[in-house]
Amino acid sequence: MGKKHTSCRNVNENPCNMCMPMGGILAFKGLEQSMVMLHGSQGCATYMRRHMAEHFNEPIDVASSSLNEKGTIYGGEKNLKQGLDNMIKAYRPGVIGILTTCLAETIGEDIDRISQEYLREKGYGDLPVVTVNSPGYGGTHTEGYWLTLRRIVARLAQKTGANSKINVIIPNLSPADIREIKRILQLMRVDYILLPDYSDTLDRPYQKPYRKIPEGGTKLADIAAMGGAAATIQFGLTVDESMSPGHYLESRFGVPLYNLPVPMGVENTDMFMNMLMKLTGNPLPACLEQERGRLLDCMIDSHKYNARGRSVIFGEPDNIYGVAKICLENGIYPVVVATGSKNPLLVKLLAEKLAHSPLRCTVLTGTDFTTIRKQSRGKANIAIGSSDGRFLTEKEGIPLVRYGFPIHDRTGGQRLLSVGYAGTTQFLDRITNTLLEHKHKHYRKSMYEMFYLNNQPVEEFFLESSGEQHDVFMQ
Amino acid sequence: MAVNEKVLEELLNRYPAKVKRNRKKHIIIKDAALARQEIEANTRTIPGIITNRGCAFAGCKGVVLGPLKDVVHIVHGPIGCAYYTWGTRRNKAKSEDPTKNFINYCVSTDMQESDIVFGGEKKLARMIDEVMEIFKPNCITISATCPVGLIGDDLQAVAKAAQEKHGVPILAFNCEGYKGVSQSAGHHIANNGLMEGIIGQGDWEEAPGKYPINILGEYNIGGDSWEVERILKEIGYTVIAVMTGDGSYEELKNAHVAELNLVQCHRSINYIAEMLEIKYGTPWLKVNFIGIQATIDSLRNMALYFGDPALIQKTEEVIARELARVEPIIEQYKKICQGKTAFCFVGGSRGHHYQGLFAELGIETVLAGYEFAHRDDYEGRAVIPEIKPDADTKNIPDLHVTPDERRFRLKLSPERMEELKKKIPLSDYKGMNIEMKDGSVIVDDLNHFETEEFIRLLKPDIFSSGIKDKYVVQKMGIPSKQLHSYDYSGPYAGFNGAVKFAEDITMAFVSPTWNFITPPWKNKPLLEGIVAEGGCSEC
Repeated sequence: MGKKHTSCRNVNENPCNMCMPMGGILAFKGLEQSMVMLHGSQGCATYMRRHMAEHFNEPIDVASSSLNEKGTIYGGEKNLKQGLDNMIKAYRPGVIGILTTCLAETIGEDIDRISQEYLREKGYGDLPVVTVNSPGYGGTHTEGYWLTLRRIVARLAQKTGANSKINVIIPNLSPADIREIKRILQLMRVDYILLPDYSDTLDRPYQKPYRKIPEGGTKLADIAAMGGAAATIQFGLTVDESMSPGHYLESRFGVPLYNLPVPMGVENTDMFMNMLMKLTGNPLPACLEQERGRLLDCMIDSHKYNARGRSVIFGEPDNIYGVAKICLENGIYPVVVATGSKNPLLVKLLAEKLAHSPLRCTVLTGTDFTTIRKQSRGKANIAIGSSDGRFLTEKEGIPLVRYGFPIHDRTGGQRLLSVGYAGTTQFLDRITNTLLEHKHKHYRKSMYEMFYLNNQPVEEFFLESSGEQHDVFMQ
Repeated sequence: MAVNEKVLEELLNRYPAKVKRNRKKHIIIKDAALARQEIEANTRTIPGIITNRGCAFAGCKGVVLGPLKDVVHIVHGPIGCAYYTWGTRRNKAKSEDPTKNFINYCVSTDMQESDIVFGGEKKLARMIDEVMEIFKPNCITISATCPVGLIGDDLQAVAKAAQEKHGVPILAFNCEGYKGVSQSAGHHIANNGLMEGIIGQGDWEEAPGKYPINILGEYNIGGDSWEVERILKEIGYTVIAVMTGDGSYEELKNAHVAELNLVQCHRSINYIAEMLEIKYGTPWLKVNFIGIQATIDSLRNMALYFGDPALIQKTEEVIARELARVEPIIEQYKKICQGKTAFCFVGGSRGHHYQGLFAELGIETVLAGYEFAHRDDYEGRAVIPEIKPDADTKNIPDLHVTPDERRFRLKLSPERMEELKKKIPLSDYKGMNIEMKDGSVIVDDLNHFETEEFIRLLKPDIFSSGIKDKYVVQKMGIPSKQLHSYDYSGPYAGFNGAVKFAEDITMAFVSPTWNFITPPWKNKPLLEGIVAEGGCSEC
């Protein structure tokens, strides 16, 4: 690994991340019959519902304790209890998640005590409530997501008798990706518990009558059984132990943890399959082997086009690690890999992989889009990440392949399939076709500039950046 | 089925007693026979009820300040709130000088835990220096999010010091999310700040053209204000400033030279309208550029205000020409829309404005309401004296302005003013309720439970609201129209906007998609046969 620079700017200009409770809501939406309450100003719930509705094209019901000025002085206990009461009456949830916000944390609300007191007062003793301290200043939505999963497991997993199930804990993937992982697990004949499973709750089929709480989600009984499972597979290589649900299950119940990369790309998916074969003793079914073969066929067919690709990748740590692997396997060498999260594990992991890349790559953590844009200028010709990267297209002419969360300027973010052999194939086709489309659109112009005007690309360097910057290059 | 008092009572009975008592005051069934029908509005939302309301920050930075294009809007707080207001309202802006259009930028101090503990003033001050260096804006606003007020950062002091240092106006807004009961508090805070810090700071003493006007409460969603300006400029008006869609500091600072202020969204901007009248003697006219007849009425009222025969004639010419052009198109769409019903629940004024446009398409609005309006938006400004300020409204200080010694000038004689007030809504707004039909339902701060229940009762053909309830409604098999952001469409204002709206609404009705909801086997006897075991479920 090469040089490391730290931030010399105070401005966060065009953020590359959201705040903690956003990730928390997403995690809770993957539990069966769940409802979420945000303890704070009602604007927080409104904003997050709005953004999630735009990505998933689904109703996102999140309650708020609607704290106002009075609550900031005398505490929000009354509001939270009243809010829980009204929410329970309208929704009859099977489990409740309570997340705090900047406001609740700054005034020091004890949501654990308040919620327990409420349950006692109302005689709801057996209604499970999971509380998470998630101030907006505590981290990005990624940390909010993982911390919430850990709190869910810590509150609901139990010391049960040993079972033969395998826990599968996933990062922020699309509902289509979750369904694909479930399909692979079924094909491999794995008895699994997947957490959190929002593949139905946040991508529900059209059906009448309308239900306030959608069907689907990880069953509470299954989460309880996670403590007795044979093993945990967690697609969370970059997750800090303090926020890792898999680590909790291992240290508290002795369930062996296998932290794997998100199964994107050949190698990462191979690792997943190997792990499943090892844990179950079952062979790889012929159809998965065929899917692997088709992925390789796709990679070979597209390698000439992909070899021209120079990628800028941004998003959440585990997801971008997967994307970076796909790019490295196909010669779409990354020149910038960036996340809004301050994640040192990601830097280490990427450094190992990028050491074999022929191109210098800048890894940015805790960064913003203005820094990503400056670093990509003149170097990248394809961007991969959420809709917020559209400015890379508008300002720098770098086409964007949409992946991750949020996708709000296109439809179907919830249906994007990118994991496993079949998903990787589709994802790679999206990248290759974007490169081809860009090439066909600009071919004559670039030829003219190169051969008639003899214009050479100009290298630019920017020292100022937001967050941490690591230059990674071949030793 | 219509909703009568008995049906409404049954609906409300499903609430806990305390909630029922509260919500009952926010819902009325229109009955013109009654001398008056009071509605409760602008009071606290019940916790846990799944409201569509936002917060003071949303109203201040998100709605009123955000569209000012040559201003860098700094969000002082942790990152979330800045992110959530980044380009989400579709308020369009174009600029002759592309280096002075910052509408696509989202700038935040991104406060971390240590800033919450030790205070964020120094970080903010350093950041202002950087913003000046990077963007060189004409003006900067700073909007506070929740924790800022709680930890006691003195925004006003930081802004004042920075303004002296950099020589451009730097305005701080204490619009923490917990203030007030909805976005409305934020509108008021923003109105006060713009009035105090920008309007009247310019050195113009006279307008640069004839019939100078400001357009207040027009946010250029999907290009609305561009269509309105097209019509007004053709008639001969000089638009000084638009507040705040496609607006700018440069225009706003000279807004005092206008001879008339048009008010489109009464809720979000009536404070500035009133203050301009007191300070500069400029009356305001309630206009509505949504719908063809409403646009025509507004144009005629404006012409009558200025009273110039040439202007009146030109107004009629433009109206006649535009009508001849758009009416035949609208007629075609009307054939499809005729006889249908709509819900119209939007923020502060659209809940009222779109009813006329729906009616022009033959669609009756059977339920309407506002997310964050006050009683005067429902019942008219006549009720303002009887609205008792509660603790939440008292927390938002009123800005008291006095007549400007140099610039105050009555634009009309008091006699002429009185005469005009009898004919046109001059410095007055009669509210939404008066225009609604008997038996229609008016709901303040409609929530998800009530949305579902009223849909079951009234079975509207289209539901117009925002993105949070859009998918609930669509999952119930009813088309929806987002009237906050127009579902990536627009403009809907003026003559061209009416056509666009008619086209979009018709599209929702005629889309073949709805024909497939019931699968064929639900209408026919089930096929007979046996299901083989195993099948091909695996590969």
